[in-house]
Amino acid sequence: MALVGALIVQAEEYAYLTFETTDGEKASVAVSSLTLTINGNTLTAGSQTFTLSNLSKMYFSNTNETTAIEEITTATLDEAADIYDLQGHKVTKEQMKRGVYIVKTKSRTYKMIVK
Amino acid sequence: MKRTLLYIVALMLTIAAMGQTLNVKVGSVIYQFPATQTGEMTYADSETLTIMGKTFSLSDIDKMTVDNTNVTANLVDIAYTNSGSAMVTIAGNVAQYVTPTINGNHVTIVQTNTEAVDEDEITYQLSGTTTDGEFALDGSYKCTVSLAGVTLTNPSGPAINISNKKRIQISAKNGTVNTLTDGADANESWKACLYSKGQIQLQGKGSLTVNGNTKHAIKSGDYITVKNLTLNIHSAVGDGISCNKYFVMNSGNVTISGVGDDGIQCDLEDDDEVTGETTDHEDENSGNVYIQGGTLNISTSAAGSKGVKAVGTLYINEASATTIITVNNSGGVDSSDTSDLVASACLKGDKAIDISGGTLTLTNSGQGGRAMNTDGTLTISGGNIDAQAQGTNYGSSSQGGGGFPGGWGGGWGGNSSSSNHKYAKGVKADGNITIKGGTIKIYSKSHEGLESKGTITISGGQVYVQANDDAINAASHMTVSGGYVCGYSTGNDGLDSNGNMYIKGGLVYAICSGTPEVALDANTEGGYKLYVEGGTIIAIGGIEGGSSLSQSCYSANSWSRNTWYALTVGNDTFAFKTPSSGGSGIVLSGASQPSLKSGVTVSSGNSIFSGMGYTDASVSGGSTVSLSSYSGGGGFGPGGGGGFPGGWH
Repeated sequence: MALVGALIVQAEEYAYLTFETTDGEKASVAVSSLTLTINGNTLTAGSQTFTLSNLSKMYFSNTNETTAIEEITTATLDEAADIYDLQGHKVTKEQMKRGVYIVKTKSRTYKMIVK
Repeated sequence: MKRTLLYIVALMLTIAAMGQTLNVKVGSVIYQFPATQTGEMTYADSETLTIMGKTFSLSDIDKMTVDNTNVTANLVDIAYTNSGSAMVTIAGNVAQYVTPTINGNHVTIVQTNTEAVDEDEITYQLSGTTTDGEFALDGSYKCTVSLAGVTLTNPSGPAINISNKKRIQISAKNGTVNTLTDGADANESWKACLYSKGQIQLQGKGSLTVNGNTKHAIKSGDYITVKNLTLNIHSAVGDGISCNKYFVMNSGNVTISGVGDDGIQCDLEDDDEVTGETTDHEDENSGNVYIQGGTLNISTSAAGSKGVKAVGTLYINEASATTIITVNNSGGVDSSDTSDLVASACLKGDKAIDISGGTLTLTNSGQGGRAMNTDGTLTISGGNIDAQAQGTNYGSSSQGGGGFPGGWGGGWGGNSSSSNHKYAKGVKADGNITIKGGTIKIYSKSHEGLESKGTITISGGQVYVQANDDAINAASHMTVSGGYVCGYSTGNDGLDSNGNMYIKGGLVYAICSGTPEVALDANTEGGYKLYVEGGTIIAIGGIEGGSSLSQSCYSANSWSRNTWYALTVGNDTFAFKTPSSGGSGIVLSGASQPSLKSGVTVSSGNSIFSGMGYTDASVSGGSTVSLSSYSGGGGFGPGGGGGFPGGWH
């Protein structure tokens, strides 16, 4: 029985590494082949960047706990596999005008507002 | 059902190896944190990140990755390389307790409190090869150093240097070959190639070769134990193994050669209270050496060196496993201090030697050397011992060969510790010698074979001693009450007591070299006597005059050289071969009147005395020797001669 318990614990696979900022907002990053680097006051986790002075903690999680409006870089948009408007129509990056879009990358899905 | 369970177990183990891991790389160190154990990892002040109690400076972190690397709890892996820097990998659960400093392949670890480590201690696993590296450890908690195929050479210091004063296991992983080499430093800036201030437990079913080039090969400031390990010490400027408090060998295969001093030396720890042996060696500071299993091969060649030296008692038995000890010493006398000459010995116990088992082959070919030597008592109750002193005497070229008057052997023996000479002796004890069992064969080319500065008491075992001086010599009383004893002197008495000699039982075959020596010599001049009270006696060359013979003795005036005789007492026949020379006449005694035949053919029996005798012998042929009652008194006149005896049988 103890061995079975060990099996369950060891077999657990986390999908995300979730970062929490000092104001309580969370952003989850997929952990598959994830690399984190630090450069000055910036931590880059995969395609995400965080300001170190704003970070309070990180932890592995099984769900995407992202709560905050995140700062999306043009690089992120470059990684977009699919972009949809709110009517569900697939659009290209060049077709994006003012409005709300759903942007899917390899690792995450974003709700993006173009102003 | 059993097969199903095996499948389940195999599946579980497979899955257990697939845990997610957060790797934090800091220079040449990778900290590995299992994702399931990390919990919340906290950032503080833009400067630090703390994971599982380990706080990193963010500016030190090269990168972090998440992968499926398996992490072994409690493990610190150190991989040496000849190209670049050693890589150190630290399991997350012990990361907070370990602070590594890496300079090329010189790895220094400071280990702090590990009381919170789950169930076990930290293991430092060393692998790889470097010609300029080191493993140094400081701290205050027990740990294991696992040698997993490492070739570690430090040209400027010790290969392994552990300042931690706690117990350290040095374990060679099963099947691995490991080599440690230190550099040469004439100033002896470090104590050993493998050094630990605390206890060392040498173990594992791999092999470890140690090349010591500065002082000792292996040194502990505390005790050392050996179990299972194949340990080869190829060189040392000082001792092969040096330790304090006590040394235990339970099993394994230890070979020591090329050392500049002793093979194994155990001293007392000066700062601790001196004890005797304690239960489970708890807080023991005895200076004792316990060899209770395994194979030990030692060759030493340094003047005054000892194969094994205990400042306490040297115990040899087979309590843990079969014990096989082979020691060759060619070192001779250390005369660096002419007022305090030091003789070499294969085995030395300052306080005592106690042997109850094992197969010992001890050969000292050095001048003035001894096979076994103790400043205290010698007790033998078992084992198979072959002890040879093949060297000549030191500081005197002729004594021993010519023989000295019977009854004064003790006085002469006393001179052996004087400042200007050392005599080569087979086995020497300053205290009493007690033999209760075992098969013992002693040879001394130049001086006494078995010598005690106190008493000798033999109640069992088989003792065969051939020597150029007294074969068996006691400065005080000698008693034989059982066992089989042969004292064969080619230059003096067979058995020589400088007090009383009591023959109460057993079988004694004694041979002297010829007049004025006798086979059985008590110190009549000093007011002592030979008491024949029992046992079976064959005394070639006669016995001390004025003896007390409460058991009847018989004699024949002559005997034939190199001839098999059969002595029958009651239903027991003992066949013995006469030497190539010896004192004239023969005195016999037994529980009942013996009969003697000369020129017999031995067809069966139990061979003893290195082939010179058979107990429970079946013989045929031969001619009856006429025996006369012997009432003591004078000897048989000049006899012996006829050249020197044959070699070591």
